Amino acid sequence: MAWRPPQSHFKQVRRKMDISASYHHATQPGASAWHGRRALLRATVFGTSDREFWPHRPTVARSVATGVIAQVREDVIVLDGPGGTELFSVSPGTVTWMGARAAPSALRSGDQVIIRHRSLDAATPMRRLAERIWARIGRVAGTIVAAQGREFLVDAGRADGSPQHVVVAATSVRQVQVRFPKLAPGYLLDVIGTRHGGQLLAVVPATAQPPYLAGHAPPPMVNGPLPASISGTAVWHEPGDEPPGLLGLGYPALDPEDGARPADGGTGCVRLPYLSLGAAVRIRNECTNRSAVLPVTSDGALARQFCDRCVECGTSPKGRLADLTMAAFVELGGNLEDGCFNATMTLAG
Amino acid sequence: MLDLVREVQVGLLAVLLIGGSAAKLWQAYGAGSSGHGTGPTAMFPVRLRRPAATALCATELALGAGLLLTAGSAGAGGPALTVRAATLVLFCTAVGALHELRGHRPDAGCGCFGELSRTPVGWQVMARAALLCGAALAALGAPALRMPRSAGQAWLTLAVAAAELALLAVLSPEVGQLIIRLSHAEPCELREVPVDRTLSVLSSSASWRRYREFLLTAVPADVWREGCWRFVVFPGLLAGRQVEVVFAVYLAGRHGPVRVGVLDTGADLTGPWSGPPQDPLQLSTSV
Repeated sequence: MAWRPPQSHFKQVRRKMDISASYHHATQPGASAWHGRRALLRATVFGTSDREFWPHRPTVARSVATGVIAQVREDVIVLDGPGGTELFSVSPGTVTWMGARAAPSALRSGDQVIIRHRSLDAATPMRRLAERIWARIGRVAGTIVAAQGREFLVDAGRADGSPQHVVVAATSVRQVQVRFPKLAPGYLLDVIGTRHGGQLLAVVPATAQPPYLAGHAPPPMVNGPLPASISGTAVWHEPGDEPPGLLGLGYPALDPEDGARPADGGTGCVRLPYLSLGAAVRIRNECTNRSAVLPVTSDGALARQFCDRCVECGTSPKGRLADLTMAAFVELGGNLEDGCFNATMTLAG
Repeated sequence: MLDLVREVQVGLLAVLLIGGSAAKLWQAYGAGSSGHGTGPTAMFPVRLRRPAATALCATELALGAGLLLTAGSAGAGGPALTVRAATLVLFCTAVGALHELRGHRPDAGCGCFGELSRTPVGWQVMARAALLCGAALAALGAPALRMPRSAGQAWLTLAVAAAELALLAVLSPEVGQLIIRLSHAEPCELREVPVDRTLSVLSSSASWRRYREFLLTAVPADVWREGCWRFVVFPGLLAGRQVEVVFAVYLAGRHGPVRVGVLDTGADLTGPWSGPPQDPLQLSTSV
């Protein structure tokens, strides 16, 4: 079947034969399909051809696997993931982190892990070597609401308002206090550690504590038009209600009209264009030269609170651009225990 | 000289009270919030915050207007004394409330000038409140306002007012916030634009008039924003086929460009559905 538009403006009607495959892909349930649908509708308005459009589709994880350890053998890890059982080879070069560097043999059945892997050879892509394994890793970033000794309740911006319970490991107290000198209610905390039930045993600070109280990040000191690319820092967050392997990001400047939480303390110290959930941005890890187009999958309002820099490779400009999902952070070459990487963001549309 | 200083206080307090009230109203209008989460009202139970913020705003406006109306000889005596005493009570209460706020909510701003007052309460804000308390005390015994008797007295009045305003500016974190805001010419990507305004721009556009008759509902199926563009999607029917009509509205001004695209979703609805009579689409080849 073919359409014959009698008026010039109906050239904007995308023909069924051109878009059927892409449309049916885009109407599948799930966040990436939602992104795909909006990207397709955007392309419909702006007349982007499929050739230009599809390279902007969100990245599919190629080097990340998440799941629960089913079995640990001498040279193989068996993982129960969303896609079923997967096997990963381990070698002496495999780096395992579970609060500190450890041997893969320290892993136990039932441990929640995220693995960065690569194919052992191009001919057999299913034979994969685990390069890095993070076990039970967790992170809490937010405002301290109560403090008692090494224990803290932190408002991490959960939808239900419940605080997160953080216990700083006895051996890490000094290290955390150096980076977070004001461990008192009203100040910000951002720590990485291991999950033990509902609490986080914090072992490393993820950043340096901002000197201001929560909600009082300094406003941007520049004005004028926005640059095409914006540089800053990219961090990661735990999945929460999201699927563990989701590739996406929490965006710090969601359109307030989307019902995003109101800007507590302004827009933060980095100027970001307002976007809606489902919009796509290209995030580039300046430390590894890896980039990906990722959909905005959650509200990253908390990231606005932190006017910090990343020093993984040089010193980044101030401000958090993206609060990536764990899978996206690892896919882009970030190491979770580092907490951040120097990043550049451009709108992918 | 003392009378002159007292006279200045009346006008100054009136301007500050009306300005503070206007800033709170502006916040309530612009952000859809009466600022009940900031300032001393943040210490109230949640259900009482909004009424308390509204009452404070109304009180400031009433006292500011009252100070102006009773400043001259017409309101001298009892009315002027009553309004000025109420103003003194308000500022003395403010000093105590800000002290409490500083202890209980160190992260909260004073909320004195709406969203400009988000800086946590510090010694400057406390000093400013105390200064205004002193000003209200001085205004109690001020004589009725009159025209200056000489040019020299007029200049002296201006100098006193300017000096006090300068002192207040030094003690006001809001001045810094205002300078930052005024110096920002925000690009459209950073502007908050209500959806209603977008729909208003859309409904007055030529694209809307051209495609309106093909839309199945008046309520958009999806609305989202990407920087300077807001996309609005409506289900539609063209040539008996179900489509999605996508409008992209540029968020700069009331007459920004509006672009439109139509996506064929593939459902053939000829039969139970019939296309609009002026449907311009025609099939070139039957299926």
